[in-house]
Amino acid sequence: MKKMVIGGIILIVALMAGTYFVAGDAFQSDDYINSLTMLGALAIIAITVSTVLKYVNQIKNDTATGELADESWDGIGEYTNPVPSGWALIFMGTIIWMMWYFFVGYPTNQFSQIGQYNEEVLENNAKFAKAWENPSDETLVAMGESVFLVQCAPCHGVDAEGIDGKAQDLTHRLSKEQVLYTIKNGSNNLGYPMGAMPAGMASGEGAEKIATWIAGGMQGEQPAEFAACASCHGPDGKGMNGMAPNLAEYDDTLVTKVLENGKKGSIGTMPSFKGRLNETQEKALRHFLNSIQVKG
Amino acid sequence: MQSNAQLEYDYSVVKLFTFTTILFGIIGMLVGVILAFQLAFPELSNLAGEYGTFSRLRPIHTNGVAFGFTLSGIFATWYYVGQRVLKMSLKESKFLMTVAKLHFWLYFITILLAVVTLTLGITTSKEYAELEWPLDLLIVVWWVLWGVSMFGMIGMRRERTIYVSVWYYMSSFLAVAMLFLFNNMEVPTMFWANGAPSSAMHSISMYAGTNDALVQWWYGHNAVAFVFTTPIIAMIYYFLPKESGQNVFSYKLSVLAFWGLMFVYLWAGGHHLLYSTVPDWMQTMGSTMSVVLILPSWGSAINMLLTMKGEWGQLQTSPLIKFMIMASTFYMLSTIEGPIQAIKSVNAIAHFTDWIPGHVHDGTLGWVGFMVMAALFHMAPRIFKRELYSKKLMETQFWLQTVGIVLYFTSMWIAGITQGMMWRAYDEYGSLLYSFIDTVTVLHPYYTLRGIGGLFYLIGFLMFAYNIFRTATSGRVLDKEPANASPMAS
Amino acid sequence: MFHWLEQRPFFFAVMLFATIAFAGIIEIIPDFAKASQPTVGTKPHTVLELAGRQVYIKDSCNACHSQLIRPFKSETDRYGMYSLSGEYAYDRPFLWGSKRTGPDLHRVGNYRTTEWHENHMLAPAEVVPGSIMPKYPHMFTNTADIATAYANANTQKSVFGVPYDKDGMTKLGSWEEAKAQALEDAKKVAADMKNQSVKDAVANGQVPEIVALIAYLNSLK
Ligand code: HEC
Ligand code: HEC
Ligand code: HEC
Ligand code: HEM
Ligand code: HEM
Ligand SMILES: [Ca+2]
Ligand SMILES: [Ca+2]
Ligand SMILES: [Cu+2]
Repeated sequence: MKKMVIGGIILIVALMAGTYFVAGDAFQSDDYINSLTMLGALAIIAITVSTVLKYVNQIKNDTATGELADESWDGIGEYTNPVPSGWALIFMGTIIWMMWYFFVGYPTNQFSQIGQYNEEVLENNAKFAKAWENPSDETLVAMGESVFLVQCAPCHGVDAEGIDGKAQDLTHRLSKEQVLYTIKNGSNNLGYPMGAMPAGMASGEGAEKIATWIAGGMQGEQPAEFAACASCHGPDGKGMNGMAPNLAEYDDTLVTKVLENGKKGSIGTMPSFKGRLNETQEKALRHFLNSIQVKG
Repeated sequence: MQSNAQLEYDYSVVKLFTFTTILFGIIGMLVGVILAFQLAFPELSNLAGEYGTFSRLRPIHTNGVAFGFTLSGIFATWYYVGQRVLKMSLKESKFLMTVAKLHFWLYFITILLAVVTLTLGITTSKEYAELEWPLDLLIVVWWVLWGVSMFGMIGMRRERTIYVSVWYYMSSFLAVAMLFLFNNMEVPTMFWANGAPSSAMHSISMYAGTNDALVQWWYGHNAVAFVFTTPIIAMIYYFLPKESGQNVFSYKLSVLAFWGLMFVYLWAGGHHLLYSTVPDWMQTMGSTMSVVLILPSWGSAINMLLTMKGEWGQLQTSPLIKFMIMASTFYMLSTIEGPIQAIKSVNAIAHFTDWIPGHVHDGTLGWVGFMVMAALFHMAPRIFKRELYSKKLMETQFWLQTVGIVLYFTSMWIAGITQGMMWRAYDEYGSLLYSFIDTVTVLHPYYTLRGIGGLFYLIGFLMFAYNIFRTATSGRVLDKEPANASPMAS
Repeated sequence: MFHWLEQRPFFFAVMLFATIAFAGIIEIIPDFAKASQPTVGTKPHTVLELAGRQVYIKDSCNACHSQLIRPFKSETDRYGMYSLSGEYAYDRPFLWGSKRTGPDLHRVGNYRTTEWHENHMLAPAEVVPGSIMPKYPHMFTNTADIATAYANANTQKSVFGVPYDKDGMTKLGSWEEAKAQALEDAKKVAADMKNQSVKDAVANGQVPEIVALIAYLNSLK
């Protein structure tokens, strides 16, 4: 018996400790759901172990008594013993509790899970707005990284390098193929004030030269053919303050536009994130992307 | 009391179902172990092309163990217990004998076809009702045959009052018939193909969306009740008193627990749909009724534990009694765990996580598996008229499997709660702390542990199969049927 | 009274059945009365999408993926707006799932794209390191069952009055028309894909399973 009690206690402690050990982080938050769950898990094991031990104790130390009923089936008899009173009382108790819950505690015409959700969101947003009224740049970078890892990493990879060309490498601006592709096909999905970029602004060797130069980080001498581009993207290729995309780096306008409209290009399609992120989060993403760019 | 003139019972159908219990048990559990390791080592999902992926195999596991292993066990014990507590023999009725045989063969064919169709990806996707319409029709036929045999045997009984076990078998028959029919209402699409060369096997559900979900979980929850619970209670009410030679502790408790269970169970299905799009009142009902359900469930377990009052010696010496006491314990564990998982706030975390398979398997491995094996162990010396082959092997099996179950459910508790909490966690910046994949990779050690636990259980089951096989073929022949404790060679 | 019943199995069975059936009547009937009405904008699935849905069912993606976003902030932040009953009005069977070994997919069309699925279904762990999702290369060679998908849609239309061919709703038409339309839709998906044999198959009038599946996944919004 003693051995069993000790065994039971060890099982309970081990389970709780194990869970706490791996999920402790989450547990420290103020989410009451977490605490209730842990409490529930504890209750399951504690109630079962103690109840079973109670009956095992009777198996060990009690003796069977009672009056036998008349029948027997294949040699099995039945006592007419009364129902254990603890069992009957708790049964009644749960029924009363159920009635209370249903009609008094949380009457169903007064509870709505969507109402509960709205409250949760409002509370959360208020807390968030207050905490990050004036976030510092570092905070924004950290926040941006945290958003990036959940929302963007499945495509761009945790290192933002685009998983072997499956999506944009966000540490470098444009690749040669991308520039060539855009020159050949034009571009019209980001929603810049300049509108669409027409196809065929350059070709052949000229296009090659432009593409190599842009992909090389716009180092060295600007090829003369770039003049065709400069009218929209500016002589420095930086997009004339948001009139057309900045070809040199991921600036705020570009990230905002991509998140808003998505993008379809030579690599594939980037979905729009319109409505999925709040303003602070978008700003944070911009800061983060800026911080990881390999410039120059 | 009636005179105890020996009746000759006919065990031929019992033997057939015993065989399929073991066969489908091995297949179903082997697939379970494979599934468990596939989640720990995903490369294992791609060893057999499209037929070997986790997703194709999973329904084979659930159907294999629930409708192959467990149902076979239920039918085997029904034909055994039924004859004995009703005091009639199948030998007395050619008709019922034919019905029983037909029941077996149609059932056997259905399960084989189930394995084939599920492997081919022919499924309706509704959990525990995956089989397509032609198989559903077959099922209806043998379910009716089972009913005919049941009421036929009851009609021929010599025992005026029907015993607790029979109440529970009857409830399974009636409830599953009703649930199955409603949930499998489906329309074969080939009749409206309008000239398109459409597949003949395909059907769509009669209900759409939220309604379909509602019917599905009204069925799904009660399939648990009337396949994994009531027939197993039927078994323990017969085999525990019979094996131990004790009288059932309290008739009153039997009655209250039975009718309480019958009434309450059906209300609780809503706990599978908490925070879904079914109406709030229905969810609340599912949640609160689940808590009420603890007591009628525990009633039977307590009745059985108290039946063993003063029999500590038996518990120590007989592995068969150990199996049954452990089964009651796991029954109690899973029937308080379920209600607690049904509390809305707890379900917010538990639902969709591994804690649910954890709950499932302390019920199925600890309660269903142990009780079915105990029943087969008890029946073997009587149907084969031989001594059980090895007590030592039974002891080893018992401990190996118990450790297996503990590994299974503890690892899944931790995995589930961890994952559930991680999904909800926010960082200091108000954004989600973990990407989904973080919550997957963290589970690797627990998936591995679960696989090992499952492997222990499977090895134990193979020991069981071997033990029964040797009992049937080379156990010492008995000249007289043992009254109570089953004879076993050390 | 109980003992009386126990001696009369017929009445016992009747009482038992009444006890069991009672809850079902109370639980199920009321909600059927106001059967889930479609939300504004919800349209029946196209034939190609249905074929993809059949692939999803055939390979039991629902064993690991839910399609039910619960009203918690942590879920709406991750997956988008919580699910509404009316969005499922044309789902036969429903595909909510009961286990999230992988993420919820009810709105995956909003934040994943054709190319992404193409790479991911072929080798999930190469896109998401550490993924435990199986590879599904056979979907690139197996042909989707457009005929059964058509029968499926037509059954919904004929038997359940699903508004195919109604104004502003999905067009179905005859088998020939539907087949042509499905191929047309398949071409759009294939245009965004890289796999050459898939593109060739579609050009030849065949629809590989992966194309139908992606059409379905993209429609989940
Ligand atoms: C008529 C104005 C115009 C001219 C001339 C022009 N562009 Fe553009 N370019 C745009 C606009 C507007 C966009 C954004 C289009 C969109 O919304 O997708 C753009 C987009 C691009 C992009 C894609 C950027 C990204 O992040 O996707 C590249 C690369 C590019 N231009 C390169 C060039 C080059 C090289 C030339 C010259 C050969 C050139 N552009 C000429 C207006 C122009
Ligand atoms: C479903 C996959 C996917 C997701 C999720 C995704 N992206 Fe992208 N993204 C792409 C692809 C593909 C491209 C490349 C498109 C092209 O140029 O062909 C891209 C390109 C970009 C670009 C470069 C656009 C340009 O004009 O050069 C930026 C910036 C970007 N993504 C930011 C993000 C951010 C921030 C997130 C998360 C909030 C995100 N992406 C999520 C697939 C994705
Ligand atoms: C063994 C479990 C498993 C099975 C079976 C499975 N998946 Fe997954 N799935 C995952 C896991 C884990 C992830 C998360 C990691 C990743 O993105 O690969 C995932 C991710 C996904 C995603 C990306 C969702 C997102 O938000 O990033 C899609 C889409 C998907 N699966 C589709 C499918 C389809 C379609 C099938 C069936 C043909 C399927 N899955 C079968 C486990 C599974
Ligand atoms: C008082 C009795 C019980 C209650 C109230 C109960 C409650 C629950 C709950 C709340 C869930 C989880 C639903 C979800 O969130 O997905 C569940 C799942 C499950 N339970 Fe129980 N449970 C009980 C007893 C049992 C027993 C004894 C068994 C088997 C032996 C069992 C087998 C299952 C199974 C198989 C599932 C999984 C269903 C699925 O596929 O999602 N339950 N149960
Ligand atoms: C050898 C022992 C077993 C092992 C290793 C095993 C393993 C598994 C695994 C890995 C799953 C899938 C869980 C998931 O999707 O995450 C599963 C599901 C399931 N198993 Fe088993 N299993 C075993 C035995 C059994 C037995 C004997 C039964 C029934 C009598 C059973 C009933 C079920 C059910 C009902 C489910 C579905 C649970 C759900 O949907 O929530 N298993 N099992
Ligand atoms: Ca079916
Ligand atoms: Ca399930
Ligand atoms: Cu349930």
